This record gives sequence, structure tokens and C-alpha cells, in this order.
Amino acid sequence: MSINRRNFFKVLGVTGVTLATGKRLTAAPEAESKTEFNAMLYDSTKCVGCQGCEFACAEAHALPAPSFEDTPIVGVERKTDETRRTVVNAFKTTKGDFYVKKQCMHCNDPACAAACLTKAMYKTEEGSVIWRGKKCMGCRYCMVSCPFDSPKFEYFSANPKIEKCDMCYDRFKEGKIPACAQDCPMEAIVFGTRRDLIKEARKRIQESPDQYYDHIYGEHEAGGTGWLYLSPVPFEEMNFKTTLQNSSYPALTKGFLYAVPSVFVLWPAILLGIHQATKDNNPKEEENE
Amino acid sequence: MDGFTYYSLFETKGIEYLIIIAFLILIIPFWLFINKPVKITSHIKKTIGILSATVLRVPGGVFYSKNHTWTHLEKSGNAKVGLDDLLMHLTGEVNLKNMKAPGTTVMKGEILAEVDQNGKTLSIVSPISGELIGSNRLLTEEPGLLNEDPYGKGWIFKIKPTQWVAETSSYHFADEASEWFKGEISRFKDFLAVSARKNSADTTPVYMQDGGELADNALASMPGEVWNDFQESFLK
Amino acid sequence: MNNTDYTLPRDNDGKSIWKFLISELKPRGKWLTPFNIISIPIMLLGLVLIVIRFWKGIGSITNLTQEVPWGLWIGFDVVTGVAFAGGAYVITFMVYILNVKKYHTIVRVTVLNGFLAYVFYAGALLLDLGRPWNVINPIIGNSFGTSSVLFLVAWHFLLYMVAELIEFSPAIAEWLGAKRARKILSGMTLAAVIFGITLSTLHQSGLGALFLMAKDKIHPLWYSEFIPIMFFVSSIFAGLSMVIFEGSISNRVFSDQITEKNHKAHDSILHGLSKICAVTMFAYFFLNMLVFVHEKRWGLLNTPMGYWYLTEMIGFVFLPMCLFFYSYRKVNILSVRIAAVITMVGVIMNRLNLTVIGFKWDAAQHYYPSWMEIAVTLAVIFTEIWIFRWVITRLPVLRESPSWAKNNEN
Repeated sequence: MSINRRNFFKVLGVTGVTLATGKRLTAAPEAESKTEFNAMLYDSTKCVGCQGCEFACAEAHALPAPSFEDTPIVGVERKTDETRRTVVNAFKTTKGDFYVKKQCMHCNDPACAAACLTKAMYKTEEGSVIWRGKKCMGCRYCMVSCPFDSPKFEYFSANPKIEKCDMCYDRFKEGKIPACAQDCPMEAIVFGTRRDLIKEARKRIQESPDQYYDHIYGEHEAGGTGWLYLSPVPFEEMNFKTTLQNSSYPALTKGFLYAVPSVFVLWPAILLGIHQATKDNNPKEEENE
Repeated sequence: MDGFTYYSLFETKGIEYLIIIAFLILIIPFWLFINKPVKITSHIKKTIGILSATVLRVPGGVFYSKNHTWTHLEKSGNAKVGLDDLLMHLTGEVNLKNMKAPGTTVMKGEILAEVDQNGKTLSIVSPISGELIGSNRLLTEEPGLLNEDPYGKGWIFKIKPTQWVAETSSYHFADEASEWFKGEISRFKDFLAVSARKNSADTTPVYMQDGGELADNALASMPGEVWNDFQESFLK
Repeated sequence: MNNTDYTLPRDNDGKSIWKFLISELKPRGKWLTPFNIISIPIMLLGLVLIVIRFWKGIGSITNLTQEVPWGLWIGFDVVTGVAFAGGAYVITFMVYILNVKKYHTIVRVTVLNGFLAYVFYAGALLLDLGRPWNVINPIIGNSFGTSSVLFLVAWHFLLYMVAELIEFSPAIAEWLGAKRARKILSGMTLAAVIFGITLSTLHQSGLGALFLMAKDKIHPLWYSEFIPIMFFVSSIFAGLSMVIFEGSISNRVFSDQITEKNHKAHDSILHGLSKICAVTMFAYFFLNMLVFVHEKRWGLLNTPMGYWYLTEMIGFVFLPMCLFFYSYRKVNILSVRIAAVITMVGVIMNRLNLTVIGFKWDAAQHYYPSWMEIAVTLAVIFTEIWIFRWVITRLPVLRESPSWAKNNEN
């Protein structure tokens, strides 16, 4: 292949013109897709603690239904575990007794999905964070990373699963809405896109300012979550984690992970250089040992 | 990240790791190649048996006299003396003979020993004056060391010099020595042409077809008369 | 006994390679040494417990909870064990990159230790996984979770084991008498060393980076964004302390293999290592101070955890650093060893503080390891020591290489 001067300048010219007048490439990343995140809005003022959501969830996922004595009682903090993906707790607050439904928060940038090295914990485009059992190795790193301690592990099984709310992703794929939202008699749980639900939540606060505490929990916590909460009282009174950061948790590993490629490239180069420089100290020595 | 649609902080990580793998694989040939360009070309020349200046080993820190002996002063205060690589490439394998005994004093220019190849001989002349301390006993068992490692294990004599600075001041050294060797090769080619014709020797085994390249061990195929000529006219 | 007289087969002249390997598997020496008497029952017990673990789930033999999913096996076996294996990359850095020939005699045993440590701690990791058979997924590419620090750490473990094996393989080649293989493998040493050092830097710090997302769950005295750097720096002196500790024991137990010259050289090696430890710990201590000020931890000092933190920092970082310093100046080899042991305890404390003790320190149900977890950990460690002993007595690790290998080096 011979390059002559004419061709060279021709190519150079065409490239230059294209770059100058062609479509301007933006460096900033654009939205990956146009699919909007789904979310759920839970209004604590409407919840009566009937546990209908718990029953619906258990039935939809082949888990045991809550037993008769297992009801939300003030002073007893029930937790989700490997047999129940959601629980309702009762709290005595300054404005009376209220209930809070607890489950996975489906964060915008989930720590569990970033932590999962097999992509078993996966943030779908639609917003639900699901667990894909076939890939999971049971390392429990998702449990370590989650600020809400949502994933629960089957410690006593030979083939353990991770249990947590998946926003009824399978039902959604069939065109239905999550079981808890479907069965809630008081319509305390609403399913919709995150954008719409935040608007709805703001609207409710604006329309009834004395009924609601002026904060949507999940709007910014952990960089924003898929479950949004409205409460009549400050969220600390109902044992919400209010000291969480308002930015995404995976961003905390950004510094380290971004530095990795640089180290991979620089270290061998520097080490080769030092080796070369110090080799002359022992001219007759070989590296072979 | 607007919080309403999917976005990943680490979406390019996969490609980055692939680039890293490519880098690590490519740096090996890159490093090896950047370090040994000279060796490669001279290796090729060596394999097809051409003697050229790039093939020669010319270590720095060593003084070369015009009769192609080298001398190097060691930390102990004694100097080692030997024959340089060019001479060994020209002669091929030789044996040492009539080596002067240790303990004697030698002057610069005095004959220390002879190298012999099937009756053809060359004298080794001392590049420095001093007391002859010893000779390299390894060479009696392995004369090949003269060719393999003429500056290292193939050293011939150890002399305690008496006038080191004065005598070596005119000798070739370092970069200038490399230039001098190049000149010596072309001077040898001229010499060989003349000497071979004078002694009716056949020079076909010595010159390559593409006109002018010199084969290795050129003197090995030359008769004794050429060797005497070499001693008298080239090495002076 | 001149240890180069030890007969190693040369290119299998006459002897079949299988017969040779089988003969090497036969035990030598007494069966009922004190070490064997202690270790064999524990190893058997560990085996039984492992069977139970696979049959009835992890919870049947551990005290792990939904809030504390990582306990002794990860916190101690993996995180601390890997920190102690850091000696391999430091020593190979000094010998092959900086060309400090003084430490050359301990390269092989340190690389062997490093290799075994990673193999066994990766093995211990498999026990901790809920579904160990799926560990193949992030390897064969079923799905690469590239955003995960654990993905990076897991891959580095694998690659590092390969690099260590290559670094150690000339010893194996000498044992098997494979001359050409040895030459080829020796040529790969520099590349393996550079690769190993790069990998080590990243996964020693990576083990720390694993906990970065658990910001609200780790006690603020130990959590900071600088955990990766701290882990990397402390792995240097942790590894060297282990080299000092293990070297002192091996030199006594296997002293018949070591030449007179190497015995004497060992004290000089320990002396040199103590200086490196002193300087590194000095830097580490000040790094900790910087992070302390940066994170504004003053208010936390006057609490029980604060006192524990001070104990770790002053008693087990600052104090052994001074002791190393003193040992170097006074050339006191015994106090080098003492300082090494104290440092090792300090590193164990530091790693456990971050991963177990300080993790969810305010949980309602405190985690402490069950006796079964401890038994399995001990069984893993003992098995590793058994393999180490097997290798040392048969391969030219502590003893000199066979003469044919040494001649090749010129």
C-alpha cells in the first residue's frame, strides 16, 4: 500500500471538514432509554394496618401468609425476612398511632445492583430492582451494601434464595399492577411512574399541609428511590432512616472503580521503568531465578 | 441522572477492562521490541554469517590498541589483556601457544604469546608495560572462550601496569572505538583483496555474492602467507 | 548434609513421572508430632462441619444474621488472610523491580505462602457462598457485574493466583527435573511479578473498597472514603510481619534444609524488613491521623468504641512501629519478631473492626462467631499449613536449587 501526498491531503481534508461541520457530539451522557421508572407511593395517613398488602404479597409469591397473632403492634418492630417481603409496623407518634409498610425501596441507583458481581440483582429499565436467581452465587454482598437492609437471605436452605420485594415485576410484565397496590382497600398504595407519583405526592402535601409532614421520603434519599412515602409526622418518629445521604450509594465506589484502569496502565509502565533503571546496579545478574 | 429513567454510572467499565487486557498483552512485545532493535538486526547478520560492525561487541570502559588487543584496568590495580572481538571474528577458533611465564616483566610491544590455527600463527603483542602476574588457565581447557567471551572469560593475561596512563592515552576507547572498528573492517577488506591476490589465494569463500559483504572467520580459509601479511601490514 | 546432594530427577531419566509423583505423596517423618496431634482432629471436625453446612445451609453452623451477612469467614479468613499474604508482592517488588538482591533467598517461600494463602482463602470464600456452584457465572461471562467492586476483587484473586503460580513454577520445574520448562517459566518471571504487583495494589485496596457503600453501617471511626488506601498501605507491613513471623518458624522447623550461609543471612533479612515496616507504619499512622481530622472524629473518642479505636491505633500501630524502629537501630532480632507479632494482632484488629466488630455495631443482635465458624477457620488454616509443609520438604524452596538450575542462570 503506497500513500502518495495527494491522497494523504485529500483524506486529511475530508476528515477535517467532517469534524468541523458534522453533528456535534455531546460528552454528557444522555438518558439510556425513554422508558420511565415505575414507582409506588405509600400514604401513611390512609393506612389502617389491615395487612391486606402482606396477604396479597404472600399469595402472589408463594410465601407463607402472616399468622393470626402476627399483627402490627406499637412497640414491636417487625422486620422483613426470607419468608415475608413486606411488613406493616405500628408507631405511636405525636399525632396518634400510625402505620408504615416496609419493603425494598427500589432505589434509582441501587447499591445492591451495583454490588452484585453476577448481575443477579438487577435494576430493570422499568424501575423495579429484581433478583435473578439463576445467576446468584449467594455472596450476600448486596446485603452488605444496601442502606435499607432490604435483601434477606435463606440461611437454612441448601439452595438459598434472596427474598425482597420486586415490585411484582412478573405481574407487571403480564399487564397487572403490584399485588399490594391492587389489594389495598384504603388505596394507601398507588402505582405509577415516578414522575407522576412525585407530582401527586407534592399535590397532596400542598392541598392538605396540616395532614402531611412536608417531605416526600424517597424523593432524594439514597439518590432517590422507587418507593415514595408520605407521613403525617416527621419520619424519625416512625423509625425511618433519616440520616442517609441524599446521593447514590454506588457513587461512593466511583472514586475507586474509576481509578482502576489508570492503575492497570500506569503500574506496569512505572514498574518496567524502575526495573530498567535499577538493572544496571547488577549488570551480570539475570532475572531468571 | 434525572431520577426518572435508567442511567448507569459504570456502563463503560466492561469496555475499559477489555482495553486494559489489550494493553497488558500488547505491552510485552512493545517492551521487548523497544529494548532490542540492535540485537535483532545483528542477530540476523550473524545467522547468515556476515561480519559487520553491528555484530561486533565493543564494550565501553576498555582500551583498544591498534594491534587489536584490549586492556582493562581492574579495581585490584591489575590490568587484564586480551584479543578483541574483531580479531577473533576474523581468525575464527585459535589456540594459545608459547605463553610468557608469569613473574616476568614485559614492555609495551613485546610478544606475550602466539595464537595458532593449524600452523598459521599470529603474535600477541603486549599493549602495556608491567609485571606479568598471571594468565587465564581456563583457556587451556576451553580455547573457544577466546571467541565466545573475548572480553570476559576469554581474557588472556593479567599485568600489573607501570605506565598505565601514558601508554593507554593513545588507545581507542568507547564511542570512538566503535567508529574505529567500522573503519578497520573496511580496511581489512582492502587488505585482504591485496594480500589474497599477492599470495594467489582464493577469496571466493570470503566475499558474499551481493558484492562486498564479508563472511565471518575470513582468515580461517586463508593460507599462512596471508596470516603473515596480516601480521606485518595490517596489525602494525 | 550438603543440600544440593538431594537427588532430584533430571529430565526423568529412567523414572516415570507418575511413579515419581506417587512416591512424593508418601508421607515422611513421624506421624505423631504435637502439631499433627492438634491439627488432625480439628481438620476432621472442620470437614464434618462443612458437610453439615452444605446440607443444612450456612445458618446451621454460623451466627450470621440478616443484618450482619458477613462474619468471621469473610472478615478474618478472606480480608485478614489476604492482607497477610501481601508479603509476596512486596518482596517480589524489592527483588525483581528494585533489584535488592539481599531478599532473594526468601522470595520463593514468600511467593509459595502467598499462593497458598490465596488458594485457601478463595477456598474458604466458596464455603461462605450460598450457591458456590454459581461462582462460575462471573468467570465465564454469564453476566459480568462490572460495576461491582467484588467483581474486580474476585477476578483479581483468580489472576493473582495464576501470576503467583507462574512465579513459583520454576521451583516446581526444578523438582520435576524439567529443564526446558524451567527456562521458559523463568523468563516469564518479570512479567508475572509486574502483573502480580499491579493486581495486588488493586485488590488489597479493593477489599477495603468493598465496604465503601456500607457508609451508614460501619462505625464512623473506621469508615472513611480512604479505606482502600489504608488497606493497601497496611497490607505492606501486614505482609512483611507475616514474612518475619512465618520465616522465623520455618527456619527453625526446617532448619536442616537451609544452608549455613542462608541461616546467617536470615537475621540480616529480618533486620532489613524491620526498617521497611517501621517506615511504612509511620506513614500509615500519619495517614490515619489525616483521615481522623478530615472526618472530624474528635467527638467519637470519648466512647467505648473510641477507646477501642485508640487501643488499636496506639497499642497496635504506634507501639510496634516504635519497636521496629528500636529493633532496627539496636539490631535486636528478637524484638523484630515481637514487633511483628504485635503488628499482626493490630492488623487482625483493624480488619475485624471494619468488617465485623464495627459493622452494624449498633444492631439489636450483636454478631459474634459461633464455635463452629472458628473450627472451620482453623481447619482451613491447618490444611494450608499441611500443604505448605508438604511442599517445603519436597521442593527446592528453602533449600538451594539443584546445580543444573543454578548453572543456567549465567
